[in-house]
Amino acid sequence: MDVSLRALNRFGLGARRGEAKGIGDARGWLRSQLKAVPRLEPPNVATPEALAQAVHTFRSAAQGDTLQRRAARRQLVEIASAESRAALIERLTSEQPFAERLVAFWSNHLCISAGAKALVAPFAGSYEREVIRPHVLGRFEDMVLASAKHPAMLVYLDNFQSIGPNSMAAQRGRRQRGARGLNENYARELLELHTLGVEGGYTQEDVQELARVLTGWTVSGLVRGGAGNNGRGRYGRRLFPQQEADGDIGFVFQPLLHEPGARMVLGKKYADDGVAQGERVLRDLCRHPSTAKFVATKLVRHFVADEPPAAAVERIAGAFRDTDGDLAAVARALIELPESWNAAMRKFRSPQDWYVAALRAFEVKTLGDPAVSVLRQLRQPLWAPQAPKGFGDSMQEWADPDSLMNRAELARTIARRLGADSDPRVLLEVTDLAAGDPLRTLVSDGSIAAADRLALGIAGPAFQWR
Amino acid sequence: MNRRQFLRNMCYGGIATFALPRVTFAQVSQGGRLVFVLLRGGFDGLAAVVPYGDSRYESLRGSLALDPTDLFELSDLFALAPGLAPLREAWQRNELLVVHAMAIPYRTRSHFDGQAILETGLDRPAGSSDGWLNRLLQVMSGKRSGIAIAAGMPRSMSGPFDVQTWSPAQLGHVDDAYLERLAVLYRTDAALQGRFEAALQQQETVGEEPMAARGARRGGITPIMRATARILRQDEGPNIAAMEFSGWDTHANQGLAGGALDRLLGQLAEGLMVLRTDMGTAWANTTVVVMTEFGRTARPNGTRGTDHGTAGAGFVMGPTVARSAVLSDWPGLDDRSLFEGRDLRPTLDTRAVLKAAIAGTFDLTPAQAARVFPGSDAVRGAYDVMR
Repeated sequence: MDVSLRALNRFGLGARRGEAKGIGDARGWLRSQLKAVPRLEPPNVATPEALAQAVHTFRSAAQGDTLQRRAARRQLVEIASAESRAALIERLTSEQPFAERLVAFWSNHLCISAGAKALVAPFAGSYEREVIRPHVLGRFEDMVLASAKHPAMLVYLDNFQSIGPNSMAAQRGRRQRGARGLNENYARELLELHTLGVEGGYTQEDVQELARVLTGWTVSGLVRGGAGNNGRGRYGRRLFPQQEADGDIGFVFQPLLHEPGARMVLGKKYADDGVAQGERVLRDLCRHPSTAKFVATKLVRHFVADEPPAAAVERIAGAFRDTDGDLAAVARALIELPESWNAAMRKFRSPQDWYVAALRAFEVKTLGDPAVSVLRQLRQPLWAPQAPKGFGDSMQEWADPDSLMNRAELARTIARRLGADSDPRVLLEVTDLAAGDPLRTLVSDGSIAAADRLALGIAGPAFQWR
Repeated sequence: MNRRQFLRNMCYGGIATFALPRVTFAQVSQGGRLVFVLLRGGFDGLAAVVPYGDSRYESLRGSLALDPTDLFELSDLFALAPGLAPLREAWQRNELLVVHAMAIPYRTRSHFDGQAILETGLDRPAGSSDGWLNRLLQVMSGKRSGIAIAAGMPRSMSGPFDVQTWSPAQLGHVDDAYLERLAVLYRTDAALQGRFEAALQQQETVGEEPMAARGARRGGITPIMRATARILRQDEGPNIAAMEFSGWDTHANQGLAGGALDRLLGQLAEGLMVLRTDMGTAWANTTVVVMTEFGRTARPNGTRGTDHGTAGAGFVMGPTVARSAVLSDWPGLDDRSLFEGRDLRPTLDTRAVLKAAIAGTFDLTPAQAARVFPGSDAVRGAYDVMR
């Protein structure tokens, strides 16, 4: 096994031409990337002001005609696609590919789905920029708290419209037909998917208590008045006196919606001190031993093997526990795992990884128009998993026959795009090939069109692994 | 060498390691086939299966009330929308169970939650849960396999049991020489070789003709049904297929006979009948289940459409049903009967129908069927609707 290629492909986003010879000490190269993750500026169409304007237009278009609604929706889609392209270009060009891989990992761990609701899509890019990137080498609990307070998550898992049954708002709204109450969606996924894991030792009562704790954690600037569109707009505007239709969109703790009283979560009592009650519960959940185990299992599955070796999981969980979830320390521990460098353990590239690796190998730094639809065809559209558990992370998930055929076909599209200047022999430098691999002679076989040789290398089995 | 010969050489040499449609799928004893068709978006049950005999129907539906003379009568109370006319033949042959006032067990008007509930088969959302079709594959014994006919892996099919996919979204023709060279490369990888050969096999099975039809790539239902039949009808083809079609979220201008929704219903009915024909002799053991995440509001909205509601209609089709019938404990359409004053009230749990359909297709016991739907012990399967 070539250690440099393992570092570039397994921990990074795919080796570039000549890179394997240049990185020197592979572990040192990885460690050097764990300093700071570059902050990204929002694309022009997605500045906070532009985002607020587009969302307000969309909300008011709900009362308008079909053309207005369509135009408003298109504006949201444009924001989402500008954000996707910016994020993908960062993956293509990054000089800290290990850190970028961690961004993608945590983004998927605490995923939102742009496909779930019209109002999630425009916030998906901002979610990764503001929730994931700043904390990817920081503390897990800070990342989870940022996630809990971001409009994308609040909308995606409905917490923004969860109302304490004994809150002031519920008491006032009781006379209104159809006024809703507690929504457990976010509380449940926070326990099941973000922190303790489904077998982490919590009960349905913990879910409900946590949901009560989190009532009042909502989004400002989304006034839900007006006629019932899609069953949404069912609370009178008067329940949200502090919110204005044209205000900023962001986290707000709304005491009127908050369930009053002390709460018991996982056997510990939390006094009601408003937003701080939830903040303390969330920090405790992040420090729970089940969380360390759950997160470590997912990390090892991502970086080492589909069936995570128990010893590796225990080491990573230990690093997580010992540092109270210092994610840079956890990332360093991943580099030090002997299993990370075991040639017998391979990871099948996810569709996004495969696509990015193909373009990085040839140093492509811009995206063709179809990039977003390519990822859709490969069944892994950026930030749009089908369920809150995120995209799967195993060969079983991605290496089905139809997907291999998809890759075979898309490889030709990619090869056409790379054009005649791209030398198929680059593929020998970026892939860890066995000595007798037929690709070695095939890339120089003049009887095959150069574009086909490129496509064969990209679609061939060696390039499917990292 | 053309692709057909090439495949013979490759795939019949006994080297395949992954489940190939014709090569390594061993026969399930009963040879049953289950096709689960998910209509994403919430299809309007009251527009499809019309309760024309309910005295409140006309006044409640207002501008969306269909003219009874356009309908195909099923009983004194129910009739099929004009677009569904192709299903007449299935009805007359005792192969069509029409289900009404049915809903998932969780009250939501969100597509996202509704589809999650229908596809996981649970009674409340659970983000990490797998699909009920995958659970069904785990519960069944013997050799069996599933396939998702969809651009992405539908939640209903996802889970630890390895399933195949086939999507009509594939790009155009890929020439044989390229695929042959690629197959040679894949021979060097023991983990992937069988999977790649299965992909070649699948392409060969479906052929290019169904997808060459007009509209096939825009998601027309009939060509996809044609391709599905080709995959399922093989002796050792998959036992379970998940399909999905969208376009049912009719908030505006859903129309009357010949209108937008009726045309879509027409495509669905035509597609189902094509599947029925193209399955050939394998149809005898086939059950098709058509469901949606929720019904729609009983009254039209301000834009001549309907909004997200609660109970709706569905279908179970195949020679495996006991006889053509409407399965419904009809709640009525007067104001007090409507759920929250606006939607058709649910009187039947989707899982009662699903349990019956899987038990009838695969000879499962009620206890086995219950394992597919954890937490559904209180929901009795409607077992007598199946043969």
